[in-house]
Amino acid sequence: MKTLRISLFLPLGVLLATGFVQRTAPPAGNAAAPKVVAAANAFLATLSDADRAKVTFDFNSPQKTTGWSNLPSGIFQRNGLRLADLTAQQRDAAMATLAAALSKSGYQKVVDIMNGDEVLKNRGGGRTGGRPGAPAGGPPGTPGAGGGGRGGRGGGIVFGRDEYFIAFVGTPSATTPWMLQFGGHHLAINVTVVGSDNVMTPSLPAAQPARFVLDGQTIRPLGNENDKGFALINALDENQRKQAILNYQVRDLVLGPGNDGKVIQPEGMLASAMNPKQQQMLLDVAHEWVGILNDEGATSKMAEIKANLPKTYFAWSGSTTNGELAYYRIQGPTVIIEYAPQQGDLDHIHTIYRDPTNDYGARLVKR
Amino acid sequence: MKLISLVVMLLLATPAGAHRLDEYLQATRLGIARDRVNVDVDLTPGVSIAPQVMAWIDGNGDGSISSTESLAYGRQVLASLVLSIDGATVPLSLGEARAATIGEMTAGVGTLRITASAPIGSSGRGRHQLTIVNAHHPESSVYLANALIPSDKRVQILGQYRSQDQRRLIIEYEVGMSRGWTRMSWVLLGLSPVGALLWRRRLDHSTTVETQPN
Repeated sequence: MKTLRISLFLPLGVLLATGFVQRTAPPAGNAAAPKVVAAANAFLATLSDADRAKVTFDFNSPQKTTGWSNLPSGIFQRNGLRLADLTAQQRDAAMATLAAALSKSGYQKVVDIMNGDEVLKNRGGGRTGGRPGAPAGGPPGTPGAGGGGRGGRGGGIVFGRDEYFIAFVGTPSATTPWMLQFGGHHLAINVTVVGSDNVMTPSLPAAQPARFVLDGQTIRPLGNENDKGFALINALDENQRKQAILNYQVRDLVLGPGNDGKVIQPEGMLASAMNPKQQQMLLDVAHEWVGILNDEGATSKMAEIKANLPKTYFAWSGSTTNGELAYYRIQGPTVIIEYAPQQGDLDHIHTIYRDPTNDYGARLVKR
Repeated sequence: MKLISLVVMLLLATPAGAHRLDEYLQATRLGIARDRVNVDVDLTPGVSIAPQVMAWIDGNGDGSISSTESLAYGRQVLASLVLSIDGATVPLSLGEARAATIGEMTAGVGTLRITASAPIGSSGRGRHQLTIVNAHHPESSVYLANALIPSDKRVQILGQYRSQDQRRLIIEYEVGMSRGWTRMSWVLLGLSPVGALLWRRRLDHSTTVETQPN
């Protein structure tokens, strides 16, 4: 990458020091963290010295912030160990580490996203819809659309459940900070463990296809995120909807990968103007992201979000009819969640989950 | 020619899934301080319009994006942005223009990031209105435009109003008193009852003296 810097203007980090962000008490310790450490060490024990060196990075290395993306292999080069390069035993141990870090439903969501990518590979790379009126899959005569799965590493784009990577940023430990990084196309799970506490921000669960059939069962990796969002917007009365629905279109994530430390001015409807049932629905929507993490970690995080509910906004853009295109955002002092269909395609969803005060466990590390 | 070959090669190797197609995403974020506005613009061309965008950036057509070319394109973009404060146009100065590799750009995943700023020294305490209009290649673009939460607590965003496509963003904001003035105000406020009491006593004393019988 060629760069030119004249000067730096925007002190992004200082945004956290605003009145909007009010830090709450640190999450209580939980029993999940030691299990993750044990599982990570069990995985490390299956590796050769060379692979152990390959999978582990310094906690303060750029790997932490630049080692994740929504993009597939071939476009984005991940570090760490690729599942395809592991033996069956090593792969099981890697997935066991992930399972120890996540809840049962969170782990299943991750597996569904990976299986979706396998479906995408088998379909030949998928097609993302363009702007209305534009030819789907690229301009006429462009052979790019639908040519996925070629090339192998270092060649073209590669999809599929083998193309997911595991890395440890820092050394798995019960005392010193470290991070489990697991990701591939449409998936970035960043679990920072600090002592007995752990957080999962920033993370990026996404899906393409958003609906597929596997072994006779219809899978929607982000189906709850979609359905619960629509249920909430439709549970608001007319006056509330006027506050929540933005009068402009949002065509992508505002705070996707590469936007660490940025906090946008919140918009939409304050949860304090919702009734208790609506507030619970909002918390349920947020839990779809928060609850990917192990139950203890998620419970702490949900308590924090609940405590900040009066300062939490819900914003919506697009149709309120489930099955049509809509973007939504939940933004509170310690949480930002975005749900964004890509380029008018209901079968291609990106989302992001951040904590402006605690991405990469920043608040825990400072303690 | 080199560029065209590279683009064709990338298109052959690049399926449409996973990345932007025929949209030129322009994401603008504004950080308002008391004395300046910082503007970041992230430009991400979709894979099918990337050759066109590359032709705009790669001025000498050598198939790579030099620092000079990034900067020159950054200036072009800024020339398409109209920033005004309280109705008066404010010129933007380019800070940085950083492009991803041409491979990433042509694959529809690369971003050219521009940072710019404008002084707004004349806007003092009180309510203000900032307007930014992005006229850079609207025929193929989609826009995101957002105010960041000001890092200076004296600046408060009161509201954001956009056109439906986010090409136009109006931000209403308020600049409060500086800490020094705030402290001074509190001191004056605190002293005011004492002052009023002293003034009253002085008045009473004068009245008493004036009304004393000879």
